[in-house]
Amino acid sequence: MNHNTQSRHRVLNFIADNTILAVLGALFIAPIVLVLLTSFMSGRQTLTASWWPDPWEWDNYVKAFTEVPLASWFANSTMYAVLSTVFMIVSSVPAAYVLAKIKFRFSNVIFLAIIVAMLLPPQVTIVPIYVMWAKIGLTGTLWPLILPNLLGSAFSIFLLRQFFLTIPSAYADAARVDGAGEVGVLLKVMVPMTRSGIAAAAIFQFFYSWNDFFGPLLYTSENQQAWPVAYGLATFHGSHGTDWGMTMAVTMLVTLPVVIVFFFAQRVFVEGINLTGVTG
Amino acid sequence: MLTPAILGLLVFFVYPLVANLYYSFTSYDLLSPPRWIGLRNYTYLFTQDPRVAAAALNTLWLVLIMVPIKILASLGVAGLLMKARRVSGFWRTVFYLPALVPPVASVVAFVFLFNPGSGPVNAALRSVGIAGPLWFNDPQWSKPTLVVLAIWVMGDVMIIFLASLLNVPREQHEAAALDGANAAQRIVYVTLPAIAPVILFAAVTGAIAALQYFTEAAVASGVASGKSGVYTKLSDVMGYPADSLLTYTEWLYARGFGSFQLGYAAALAVVLFVVTAVFMGLLLRRFDAFNPDGRS
Amino acid sequence: MLKASIAATAVMVVLAGCSTASDSGPQPEKDAPKDLSGNISVWWSQSDREADEARTALEGFKALYPNVKVTYHDGQSDEQIAKAIATNADIDIAISSGPDSLGTFCTSGAFVDLAPYMKRDKVDMSVFSGAAKEYTQLNGEQCSLPWLNNAYGLYYNTDLLASAGVTEPPKTFSELEDLALKLTTYNADGSIKTLGFNPLMGFYESLPPQWMGTVNASWMPKGEASFSTDPAWAKLMTWQKDFIDKIGYDKLQAFTAGLGDEWSADQAFETGQIAMVLDGEWRVAFIQDQAPGIAFKTAPMPTADDNADAYGAGYVSGSTAGLTRASRNPEAAWAFLKYATMDTQALVTAANLLKNMPSTEASRTSPDLTLPEASDTFLHIVSNPYSVTVTPALSGSAVGESVLKFMQQFQAGDVSNLQEGLTKLDSDIMNAIELSK
Repeated sequence: MNHNTQSRHRVLNFIADNTILAVLGALFIAPIVLVLLTSFMSGRQTLTASWWPDPWEWDNYVKAFTEVPLASWFANSTMYAVLSTVFMIVSSVPAAYVLAKIKFRFSNVIFLAIIVAMLLPPQVTIVPIYVMWAKIGLTGTLWPLILPNLLGSAFSIFLLRQFFLTIPSAYADAARVDGAGEVGVLLKVMVPMTRSGIAAAAIFQFFYSWNDFFGPLLYTSENQQAWPVAYGLATFHGSHGTDWGMTMAVTMLVTLPVVIVFFFAQRVFVEGINLTGVTG
Repeated sequence: MLTPAILGLLVFFVYPLVANLYYSFTSYDLLSPPRWIGLRNYTYLFTQDPRVAAAALNTLWLVLIMVPIKILASLGVAGLLMKARRVSGFWRTVFYLPALVPPVASVVAFVFLFNPGSGPVNAALRSVGIAGPLWFNDPQWSKPTLVVLAIWVMGDVMIIFLASLLNVPREQHEAAALDGANAAQRIVYVTLPAIAPVILFAAVTGAIAALQYFTEAAVASGVASGKSGVYTKLSDVMGYPADSLLTYTEWLYARGFGSFQLGYAAALAVVLFVVTAVFMGLLLRRFDAFNPDGRS
Repeated sequence: MLKASIAATAVMVVLAGCSTASDSGPQPEKDAPKDLSGNISVWWSQSDREADEARTALEGFKALYPNVKVTYHDGQSDEQIAKAIATNADIDIAISSGPDSLGTFCTSGAFVDLAPYMKRDKVDMSVFSGAAKEYTQLNGEQCSLPWLNNAYGLYYNTDLLASAGVTEPPKTFSELEDLALKLTTYNADGSIKTLGFNPLMGFYESLPPQWMGTVNASWMPKGEASFSTDPAWAKLMTWQKDFIDKIGYDKLQAFTAGLGDEWSADQAFETGQIAMVLDGEWRVAFIQDQAPGIAFKTAPMPTADDNADAYGAGYVSGSTAGLTRASRNPEAAWAFLKYATMDTQALVTAANLLKNMPSTEASRTSPDLTLPEASDTFLHIVSNPYSVTVTPALSGSAVGESVLKFMQQFQAGDVSNLQEGLTKLDSDIMNAIELSK
């Protein structure tokens, strides 16, 4: 009897929890569904209360490419994201390795500086940095956002360092005993063992660049040829005789690459997020 | 191997901090050399600027209201997923998915969904007889609507909470249960203390992110005001409606790069630096936490 | 390793310290060069159809100077133009959509003083029509030339007016308000279905300068903010607020937020959702292009009931074209500037295509000018001696921005004491000007 009520209690609990989850989940998914449906509506229909496309305006996805330079936006975003990511890996992996595994006099000072640089709002230093790029003559392009990655990105160095710390030093020591130099240790021993960490850092960098709005606003707003998707989308509604249907189609298209990358690398990604947050 | 990174720190961190301080005492528009004007930027900032107070208060609002709500929401969902034993797979993805949407895309979508006249949200409210508010077009509602957006994209914080909740040893719960603690007591005495450092981390990084809140507010103002087009000055529409969405960093951008008062923008940046430093201090007191192997 | 980094930082500091643009920008050669060649870049606010048509109108420059290649950058706001000049980008000529930012462009030296060029080539401002002489200069310094005029008036949908039994456009504020309320229809749930006239400031072209003539208000006389001392502003705002309250601020906001963008085919006058709208003369071309089916006429803006004498006049403005200090090819750029702003044929073609107002006397009276009937209103406004314009202010667009912001706050009901608010507005504007000096 007692056992029976307890299990019934458990079943009721189970149903209650899952019902709440289902309702909440539906609320979280609803915006995406509504945006998707709207992206198939004509401009006039988006201004009505109906939420099911009638007729289906498949054309929105074609018009998105013909009425605005969406292809150019995608090309720019891809360049920004891919180059930033490659540059970041080349520069940040060695730096993170050194900070994690090699003891030297100022390592703590440098690490502290990296944390502060990572946390500092970019707007704090934006005036001198903008002036610097203006003097060099690279404003109006995405290079001021790409090139700094050659000198490491504070967040990536931090993240990668945390990954390197999880690898026992014994492996590196063994390689050193075998006569490998630090570069050899890094490339032959450490990198293969932190592949998922590097992948996570790469994905974060890719997403950051793909989503970046402030940087492109600052550096490329005056040069439409250099606009990436995030900035283009922000100016999209309103400038080209646009309607919400088409705007939502572009919104879907801008989001799609991120979602695809996520589903291919979900595990690595979640691991990475946890490493940024688990401190206690 | 560290040289590029050190160079990076010097060029993009140390030098700009120093140079920014210098610029803050000048009048500078890039066209003629910076002109030393002493404390005039600061006097204007603290005594005359008609919009900086609104910008600072809006940002403070985001720190004090949006950040805690987002954290509570993430904790709530993470706790619910734990309780329903749905920690991985489908449900986790459902709640995480919105966090993946690029911020500009999510704001554009929200301005459409919450459009007071033709948006689906108010259409749904109307169908049950409620006259919905003006959301992004009402100074009273614009920030709360951004909070709704922040809750929608809480996935990254939620994942961190989930991981730390999973790390809470089961034995502690069982021991507490044996001692007669009920579910609520177990949360207060077992779960919360165990994940407190993670909550603190999320709160401080969330606060620092809120201090630089820019994209969502700027895009919401632009699209909701109907003036986001190619040749609108973005800094003209910033803050719409009625400066309710004007954030501190937007104001810095508008002064610095909308009107090219770079000296004044530098002064605003110095103040932002000081405020951020306080929050960073909170985090860096736990500097050791960044060194899991105890090395510091 | 550390040494190298420090050296690099030192280089950066030096780089930032020295100013690459310390000279005062391009200077004219002694005699106008006969052969011009090279590239020039023109940045302008025009985009899409307007940019294409403007390019067509300026085709003739190629015949005059076959060796000069002109590149156009469409859709550039003042903010983007300022950025391009400050960062020394490839920008020879900037054509801004209006004089809003001219104050900063002139005082900062972003736009070069044209007097030496004009003197050398023996051209002067007398070729331009009235208002254009005022809004293109700052304190006597001619740092831009007018390219086409804009004039603002009332567009009204004749079908919608006829449905209320009205054929004549309103001429006073009371008539406008009465008719607007009559033409406003509501949905079953109380929300607005169609609107007679939108009294919200900031809606499309409804900006403070566009209204000043209707109440005979002044705009920064002698460079001083006088929004609190000139009672006309308070009068205008009080009338607008009463008007808004008769419909309901929230209802108007909800309706306005659901309207299409000003430059799209969903513009509310073109869709018939609004019966009367304050707009510029170019709307004639937009309607022709985007909504040829709509039956409309144009008229001057109605004036305040006690300002009936001013009926027929209006707000006149126009694009301002400047030679930038970033120009690498100033002589070719100056030749282009002269051609674009003064060549009768180029101006007439541009006016005919864009339905803008021609900005020189010669083009205004040219027999080739073939503007439609709806444009007549604006031609009359431009030549009306009571029409008003805004002279550029020192702090650039800060004045217009601040006034609009304040008027919107007042309309939203966030200002408890109008007079106190206006006084603070005045001092805010003067403080901002002081800082940018």
